[in-house]
Amino acid sequence: MSSDAVKKRKPKVIRNEAGTPETKRGRAEGEQSVEMEERRRQCSVHFITLKKLNRLAHMRLKKGRDQTHEAKQRVDVLHLQLQNLLYEVMHLQKEISKCLEFKSQHEEIELVSEEEFFQEAPAEISRPHVTRDDHHQLTLARLDWELEQRKRLAEQYKMSLARKEKIHKAIEQKREYLSSLQPGLQNIMQASLPVQECLSMPFEQMQKQAEVARHLPPPLYVLLVQAAAYGQACDKTLSASISGDVDEAKALSRPPEDSQDDESDSDAEEEQQNTKRRRASVGVQLDDKRKEMLRRHPLSLCVDLKCKDGSVLHLFFYYLMNLNILTVKTKVSTTTDLSGAVSAGELLNSESLLNCLYASDHGQETPNPTNRYQFDKVGITTFADYVSDLGHPYVWVQKLGGLQFSSDGAQVCVLMGSALSASHMERTMKLLQGRLQARLALHKQFSSLEHSIIPISGECQHLFPAKVVSGLTLVPVEQELGFVQHVLKAGLLRETDLFFMAVVERGTARLLAAVVVNPRYPEVMPLFSLSLHWKGERSGRTEDNLRAMESEVNMFRAELQGPRPGLQLLTNQIQRLCVCLDVYLETESQVCDGSEGPKEFPREKMCLRTARGPSRLKPFKYNHPQGFFSHR
Amino acid sequence: MGPVELLHMSVFSQSFSPCGRFLAAGNNYGEIAVFSLSAALSPDASQASQKPILNFTAHDGPVFSLLSTDTHLLSAGNGEISAWSWAELIKKSTKAAWTRKPSYETSLEIPEINAMIINPKDNSLIVGGGDNNIHIMDMETGIFKSVLKGHTDYIHCLCFKEREEEILSGGEDGAVRIWDSRTNRPVHCIEVFKYEECARPQFGKWISCLATDSDWMLCGGGPSLSLWHLRSMSPTSVFPLPGCQREAVFYQDLIMSVGEGPHVSHCLHGGTVKAQIPCTPSSLNTLALNLKNTEHRVMTVGGSSHQIDVFTNFSYRAFSLSF
Repeated sequence: MSSDAVKKRKPKVIRNEAGTPETKRGRAEGEQSVEMEERRRQCSVHFITLKKLNRLAHMRLKKGRDQTHEAKQRVDVLHLQLQNLLYEVMHLQKEISKCLEFKSQHEEIELVSEEEFFQEAPAEISRPHVTRDDHHQLTLARLDWELEQRKRLAEQYKMSLARKEKIHKAIEQKREYLSSLQPGLQNIMQASLPVQECLSMPFEQMQKQAEVARHLPPPLYVLLVQAAAYGQACDKTLSASISGDVDEAKALSRPPEDSQDDESDSDAEEEQQNTKRRRASVGVQLDDKRKEMLRRHPLSLCVDLKCKDGSVLHLFFYYLMNLNILTVKTKVSTTTDLSGAVSAGELLNSESLLNCLYASDHGQETPNPTNRYQFDKVGITTFADYVSDLGHPYVWVQKLGGLQFSSDGAQVCVLMGSALSASHMERTMKLLQGRLQARLALHKQFSSLEHSIIPISGECQHLFPAKVVSGLTLVPVEQELGFVQHVLKAGLLRETDLFFMAVVERGTARLLAAVVVNPRYPEVMPLFSLSLHWKGERSGRTEDNLRAMESEVNMFRAELQGPRPGLQLLTNQIQRLCVCLDVYLETESQVCDGSEGPKEFPREKMCLRTARGPSRLKPFKYNHPQGFFSHR
Repeated sequence: MGPVELLHMSVFSQSFSPCGRFLAAGNNYGEIAVFSLSAALSPDASQASQKPILNFTAHDGPVFSLLSTDTHLLSAGNGEISAWSWAELIKKSTKAAWTRKPSYETSLEIPEINAMIINPKDNSLIVGGGDNNIHIMDMETGIFKSVLKGHTDYIHCLCFKEREEEILSGGEDGAVRIWDSRTNRPVHCIEVFKYEECARPQFGKWISCLATDSDWMLCGGGPSLSLWHLRSMSPTSVFPLPGCQREAVFYQDLIMSVGEGPHVSHCLHGGTVKAQIPCTPSSLNTLALNLKNTEHRVMTVGGSSHQIDVFTNFSYRAFSLSF
């Protein structure tokens, strides 16, 4: 309490004051008490003033506080009002923007344009006198017009639907009527069969074939159509027919969900089996996958080509579904019995008959590049293992079926499908017939060659002199013939070629000829390599004259091939070889080993000069009809 | 040219161009191929530079002889002689400058021309061939001025001795005849097969190669290849080579010859065979040395193959040109 503090202070002051004048105490005690009374009176007055001042201060404070408080209150009220107003402003702004953004549904309706509206709408709706000024009225009027139009059109629509229903019913009725006709037609067809046979117009058969043909896979269908067309148009000897199981084919073309279900079911079964058998049959699994991959379509095509002499080439075409390639198997049936020629057994072997029909078309590998990846999945390394079973996938077979693969050489072929097939059909058929004829002719020639008779036809007699002394035999081929190495080095001997040995003998001289026959004979000339055993061994590599004999026989195709199909080529070459040997031996009289005596081979051929040129070659060229030999 | 034609091709003649940068070769089909030696010998040569820059058919029959003058290439085939300008050939133009035929007596078969040489003294061309006679043609006028008759069978080879101006000819009848080119008369006749050291009766008597070097002469064929001293007309050394030789040349102190057998034989004057270098063709017909050009000093040989072997160092085969 401040008054207490003041009181406490006071006495201290008094005490201090009283302390100093210690000497005066005794005498001024009486003065002191009066002073003290004075002082006490002053003190109390001071106290009261002090209290009054305190009170005044307090009151002043209080008043100030009240004023502040009031002002604050006023300000608060104003502040609140301000905030309220601000909120309201914001709210109103939001409302305004919302209102501005509002899109009435009526704007989404596409209304006809104003000009059209004014033209089309009747007056009571358009009310031009009102609407031209007032946009709101105009919009309303337009909406009215729209509503009316829509109502009208909805009615039209209902009526059209009803009409459509009626027509539908009528169609159904007519259909039923038609299907009821079907059995009747069938009866008529049956009845007309004998008539068809009588007139030899097999419509029934063709229709049946067409029916089956519907189930053929596309490549076989293309092939059938093109082959039949070609047969009708150009080559009466060609006939095509379908064989195989039609039901299976139909089963294959069922909708895919069934087959997928089957697959998943079978997969589930397989898994079950696997867990039962503890995966003991991984190999069998792989085998099954392989079989699945190499599956053939149940339908196959059979094309028959007849030749003039009555022999028939049967071609069976198969389609491998998963690999998307066609394969072919062949069979030859002849009118005469062909057994006999031992060395020629290969010629008509169905495995190699159609080899290299076009150059380098061996038919051992699949022409479809995607098959490589498929094979990797099931572990097939080469397709060649399956070829004997499934047939040969020659490139020309794919082309006939309209299948084109990107690896087919550098040319870009723009044709696809039927066009591709049609463009190759004629040439391929001609080549097939030519191949069959060439092989048959070669077979016949081989049979007579084995009996040491060289069959020369009348047209080719002029190529040779009247008397040829050397005689021919065919011998089996021994391995490792040294004098053939040069042919191997030049890359002219391949696996697909037929290789045989002929021996021409005269007196003590023996000429061995190794012959390489290309499968495309007679387009490609057979190649002869010679080796002579007479007073030593010489070959075309060591002696120039034997080399000249080789070129005399191996080249000059135009002279040796004879009349048009050129099937006499091989026999003419062999005959020429015999003639050349005669000339060689008879002109060899130059050689004298010092001993006199009759020459082994008297000169019978007429030659002007026996040696010519730096290599002293003998005259091997026969001139007809003068009948003498000269140099080339 | 298919592979079968290449298999049966033989190269019969070769000739280097006057500048020494090109080689012309003739084969049995009557074709002449011109190869660029500078391309084939350059460090960045490839397979393509071993093929001819020009290949054309010059004659109907085989081209047995080729000869180069300073400006022209002369080729002989089927009884006629054609001349081709080297400048035109390098530019790949195949038009002949001229074609001439000596007059032959026989008409049934056309005699071939096997050998041609040039007499530089009076600028005449000397040819010998299938009609047993030697024809001499003047190069400027093109007229055949004389015929040397004497051989009884066709003529294989010719060569010329500059100092005495004598022509040597060897023929199928086994005789080497020496003719004087100024008077066109025969001077000597040597029948080689009568000399026991050289004769090889198992082969025959024909003479298919001749070469001379001042007083020395090489001849061979059916009889063994032998070196003769012309002044004494006797054989001094006989070379024991197995086959019949078709062409032989003197080079520095060596004798190089080719013939039957796939090798080039290097022999010394003494009669020893120093080396036999193997080659690709199985028998050789022609050997040529390019001495006109020092950068391209090569030896080329050709024979019964479509390939011509090139020797940069004469001891081994470097590479082959191919027709």
